[in-house]
Amino acid sequence: MGREKEKEKPSEKALNLLRSRFSDPNFIFKPLSDSPDSNYSKLKFIISTSVTEACNNSILLLGARGSGKVAVLELVLSDLLQQYPEVISVIRLNGLLHSDDNCAIKEIARQLCMEHQLLFSKVASFDDNSQFMIAMLRECGLAHKTIIFVLDEFDFFAQGKQRLLYSLLDAMQSVNSQAVVIGVSCRLDVDQLLEKRVRSRFSHRKLLFLSPSKEDTERFMEHILSLPVDSSIPHNYAAEFNGRLKKIFSDERFKELINTYLSFNFTIGHLVRFLFQAVSYMDLDVGFLSLDNFKTALSSNQRQPKLECIRDCSILELYMLVCMKRLEVKEQNSYNFYSVMTEYKSIHDSSQTSDNYAANVCLRAFEHLLQRQLISFIDNRLQNQSVEFRPVKLLISSAELHQGMKSYHQCPAILLKLMDR
Amino acid sequence: MPAIADRNSSPFKGMPAAKSCEVVGSNGCYTPQKRRLRSDTAAVKESPVSTPMKLKSPRRRLISSPSSPANQIKEDLSGKPVKKCWNPRDVEQMSAVKEALHVSTAPSTVVCRENEQKKVLDFCKTCVKQEKAGSLYVCGCPGTGKSLSMDKVKQQVIDWATMEGLQPPEILAMNCTSLSNTSVIFSKILGMHQSKKKITGSTSPLQHLQNLYSNKQAPSGSKMTLIIADELDYLITRDRAVLHDLFMLTTFPFSRCILIGIANSIDLADRFLPRLQSLNCKPMVVTFRAYSKDQILSILQERLLVLPYIVFHQQALELCARKVAAASGDMRKALSVCRSAVEILEAELRESASNLSLESVEGEFISPQTPQENSTVRIDHMALALSKTFRSPIVDTIQSLPQHQQIILCSAVKYFRGGKKDTTIGELNKSYIDICKSALIPPVGILEFSSMCRVLNDQGLFKLGQSRDDKFKRVTLKVDEADISFALQGVRLFRNCLQ
Repeated sequence: MGREKEKEKPSEKALNLLRSRFSDPNFIFKPLSDSPDSNYSKLKFIISTSVTEACNNSILLLGARGSGKVAVLELVLSDLLQQYPEVISVIRLNGLLHSDDNCAIKEIARQLCMEHQLLFSKVASFDDNSQFMIAMLRECGLAHKTIIFVLDEFDFFAQGKQRLLYSLLDAMQSVNSQAVVIGVSCRLDVDQLLEKRVRSRFSHRKLLFLSPSKEDTERFMEHILSLPVDSSIPHNYAAEFNGRLKKIFSDERFKELINTYLSFNFTIGHLVRFLFQAVSYMDLDVGFLSLDNFKTALSSNQRQPKLECIRDCSILELYMLVCMKRLEVKEQNSYNFYSVMTEYKSIHDSSQTSDNYAANVCLRAFEHLLQRQLISFIDNRLQNQSVEFRPVKLLISSAELHQGMKSYHQCPAILLKLMDR
Repeated sequence: MPAIADRNSSPFKGMPAAKSCEVVGSNGCYTPQKRRLRSDTAAVKESPVSTPMKLKSPRRRLISSPSSPANQIKEDLSGKPVKKCWNPRDVEQMSAVKEALHVSTAPSTVVCRENEQKKVLDFCKTCVKQEKAGSLYVCGCPGTGKSLSMDKVKQQVIDWATMEGLQPPEILAMNCTSLSNTSVIFSKILGMHQSKKKITGSTSPLQHLQNLYSNKQAPSGSKMTLIIADELDYLITRDRAVLHDLFMLTTFPFSRCILIGIANSIDLADRFLPRLQSLNCKPMVVTFRAYSKDQILSILQERLLVLPYIVFHQQALELCARKVAAASGDMRKALSVCRSAVEILEAELRESASNLSLESVEGEFISPQTPQENSTVRIDHMALALSKTFRSPIVDTIQSLPQHQQIILCSAVKYFRGGKKDTTIGELNKSYIDICKSALIPPVGILEFSSMCRVLNDQGLFKLGQSRDDKFKRVTLKVDEADISFALQGVRLFRNCLQ
């Protein structure tokens, strides 16, 4: 018993360690940033040269959501803040919150006040705030401090008259100020959204955050899932964990699984979420990851709710759906309960099955389908007509219906035949 | 104050002795650690111009302007009349080059804009001489030197007026984007005029100005006001009142303001100020055309004259000038392309140096290569910089999308080839399933499909409309079909598909 308890603890510890790793963007992006031509080193080079040579610069970071733009930026900024502690101040704005000019200038003034320990007055007007910002830029330029503006969701700042962008970029054209403007956006054509004046003042540097290649992905997964051998986790447990992990990685089925997942969504954010799920499915009694964990994670990612709905339907409801499908095939695009009943009766006349029910039972099944949102009314305004007369439409495509019925073991074979005809 | 290494101050404090280039970079540290303080450069204004260089006269003018990197002259090896190659590893030289190419460094003379400057200057001169009001409108694409030229004209008007013994005009230069309210401009003009008299609360600043200009001014020698309004189109309101009133101020009989407006659109005066024509006082229009290839080339060379060494190959500069002139004629772009070419060279040298130092036996630093190594910016660096600036990232992104999203793009292209411009997600799904079936790839369900469409919408490749139900959202393709075909041509599946 004591041994079992001891065996529980390392796997729990391992689980906690892995989960904390997945939530830490620093750990995730550090190994991907080691090579010299990675985005991390390029960004660091640009910002550090702007700081040391006291010249102004503007950059755009572009990439899909979850590809690590803000994470890499934060890594670079924390490194630079350590390297030049007194020289850099960072102002962060977000396009979802501060796209209005007044809000943005107020926020800039407030953050500048906080950085330099000045008193911020909430009743300052737009003019006062913008004068303050220009004065601070000039003062910081003279004192050789660089202000770094980080504009998240940059495409929202490009709406409207773009006054904030213009005034920021224009302030950087003067010799007095020392500032770096970093825009982060997921739209690739964001510089086409800028007005031509603003675009001309922008220095056209773009860093593209693409998804890593296959080898990099494999290396990344190995790095993030391997347990460290010299931590509080017992050594032999960690070694066996890593050994089993290596075996899983070299398995062909695993490779295929990962390829399938990555063919939908290739960003690091998605991959991390998938690995988190897989790790959470780890059986604590066994204590090691297995291929089934990954398979379960993949299938839980690819849920198809409408198919699951079909599996919960009764046979009569399935009959109604098939009748509606046949009506659609016969080019009758709008049908109500009575036309469906006609079709239902004609099926039973031709094939004499045992599922012939009366109209009120069928109406109950019809209402169940409505509630489950497998069908819906075409026009929601005619509320006063009764249910049987209002036209309905199918909310599930024929392919899904077919697939759902095929995976439904109790579905009578005649229904499938009726679908095919 | 940040703690700055005191190696910083030594090269700049009045040491005209020749310094060889290798001294600074010899400890092999390649990251620029020390910073050149601009205040130091500004302090060394009066440097002795004693080096006997075969230099053209602009250099002498550059020395006396406060923003010139005058320290560079002291680094010359005295007596050498010909420009030598630079050492890109030298931190000071690198930062000097970048400073010379930076947009914020204003050159002392504005080359290639002499005609336009002369026109504006003559107009101002006549106005000041005759003490008459007038208005002028400067227009042109961004990056053509309008604001820069107006700065120079400002100074020239004052100099000329003091020389002629006339009263120099008071200058009000402002950028209309910084005005919170469009009618604030009138209070600013009024503020220039009457700093002594108090403004009564009942009349607005505009009415006050109008009253002022309608009545005869008592002293005839009072100053004229030169108003330079940058980015004039921010004053355009719905009823166009402010712009009208501003220009009408110059039409009053006793008006004393000279108005120069700067904007981008050529026909601003015609479209927004029709009443002025009937009064026969339409503003004079000076157009700043986009720079041609020769003009860009000469401006770049003028900027690089400051440096005593050759940085760029002549063909690299020509390539840059040609490309930028063909694209937009925007000088800022040309400068930024040159700067990024310099950075590409720097990165290349750093990488080769780090490779060399990895190969060295005991891990000692290797002394930097002698400047005989070909270290100017060549055509390939410039071509790389141009492609980075002008090429959109769309092709790269499409090539790195996951497979199913590429199939979605492909199916969209195929669907829209029939002439339709937009469709619903449900229809697109059908087309997508067809392609998947023909390629024997299992298609994904409708939920996953619509979330992938949303990802493509976020990235700017699709445009999704609004609808309550996912299946009925309208989809439009925002990328050119040729771009997609070009990006996907490497994969056989898409090649066959898009034929």
